[in-house]
Amino acid sequence: MEISVDRANEVLIAKVEGRIDGANAREFEDALNGAIGEDDSKVLLDFSTLSYISSAGLRVILLIARLLQKRNAAFALCSLSDPIREVFEISGFDKIISIHDSQAEAVDKIGS
Amino acid sequence: MVKRDTASAVFGGEMTQTPYKILVVDDEPDLEHLMRQRMRRDVRSGLYTLYFAQNGVEALERLNEVPDIGMVLSDINMPRMDGLTLLAQIPNIAPDIRAVVVSAYGDMKNIRTAMNRGAFDFITKPIDFQDLRVTIERTLKNMEEWREALESRDKLVRLQNELNVASKMQQSILPTEFPDSDHCEIYANMEPAREVGGDFFDVFGLPGGKIALAIADVSDKGVPAALFMMSSRTLLKGSAIGAVEPGAVLKEVNDLLTEENEAAMFVTTFYAVYNPQTGQVDYSNGGHNPPLVVHPDGSSTLLPGTDGLALGVFPGVNFGQSAVMLSPGDLLLLYTDGVTEAMNADGEEFGMDRLQAVFSDAPPVSTEAANKAVFKAVHEFAGETPQSDDITCVTVLQRQA
Repeated sequence: MEISVDRANEVLIAKVEGRIDGANAREFEDALNGAIGEDDSKVLLDFSTLSYISSAGLRVILLIARLLQKRNAAFALCSLSDPIREVFEISGFDKIISIHDSQAEAVDKIGS
Repeated sequence: MVKRDTASAVFGGEMTQTPYKILVVDDEPDLEHLMRQRMRRDVRSGLYTLYFAQNGVEALERLNEVPDIGMVLSDINMPRMDGLTLLAQIPNIAPDIRAVVVSAYGDMKNIRTAMNRGAFDFITKPIDFQDLRVTIERTLKNMEEWREALESRDKLVRLQNELNVASKMQQSILPTEFPDSDHCEIYANMEPAREVGGDFFDVFGLPGGKIALAIADVSDKGVPAALFMMSSRTLLKGSAIGAVEPGAVLKEVNDLLTEENEAAMFVTTFYAVYNPQTGQVDYSNGGHNPPLVVHPDGSSTLLPGTDGLALGVFPGVNFGQSAVMLSPGDLLLLYTDGVTEAMNADGEEFGMDRLQAVFSDAPPVSTEAANKAVFKAVHEFAGETPQSDDITCVTVLQRQA
């Protein structure tokens, strides 16, 4: 699992590569917490190169979503492959986290 | 034990720690005087504290009186109890004490005996104090490393025990006896992953001859997940007995689980009320994998979702519900993502298509056979790839309506 960080239109974009499962969920959580600065009010996770996410990974997404919600920051996901989108749909997480088809669309929606 | 930085303590860094305690055992009265004089700097700076005994018996008394002696420096030939006998006794009092024997030059026989009895090192008389100092440093360093290794091992054992507790909790809540009547046959089992996971299922009777069916998967693993699983299961059973509608049951459990959930754990839950007399299954799906209805010809259909969300995620949400009729010969299969997300060496997932294919050529004749067929297919697919998640199946066979 690798995370690379970029910024566009005041949106922090964290691109996640590889897989997130029980073995590295903690590492994923720490990496995201490290990447998201105190002042970041718009956070986007780009999943275009994410190959797998387990329920332990979903839990980290939920933790981050709650954290950002507490400080009124926007949070979204983009570019999910079909199997990953299915994980979000089955668990119902797509109802509480906004998911966009592309990075451009997401930045357009939540950016300033 | 007292934790300290061995390197700085032993090799003359700043002394902030309690001194190492060294017991010197020798019947020559002059030695105490000599040692105190030669080691006075180290003693004054707080590096070492010296204790003295004149024979093995006194040494054992001293070891009993003074806690945390780290090293014994002992002569071999002494009245009352000699050094070799003392060596054999030390492990009974303090197993991690390091003993160094002092012997006459060239007395190989005694040195070999001492080493065989567990001495850490030896020095020869007359004592070369430079050599003694080096020997003491080396000995104490070894003792520290040994203690640290023991501590790590204890931690590991504790962790292992905790995981065993979690695994036992998980196993203990799973029912092992299932309804078997003219109308239906039910079977459920779980193959736990090596690290304790969070799957559970439940099958229990409801008023009016109905049967509650539940399958669930807690996010994450380990002891916290096992505790969350225990409370989910208890809340679900409690709600199921109070409420009739599956959607209302999941709503109540969800509200209770979200009340205090700082850890953001959640549990995907499929809950159904099954009426064996009619074959009707009323269900609500809280973010769980969609169950499968396998027909007698081997074809199968997925149960449509009910607009649900995993439990524990968001308070106050409503859970929809739906119904399906099982015809005689139909098999309802509930499973967890340990089935569909089992991976092979190429990183491919088992997936829905392979799950449905299990039955396409060989429709199941019994619920136990159905579960066995699923597990077998998953294991054959995964090959040598280790199982990373619990694999659970609950199956219901409608015999006659």
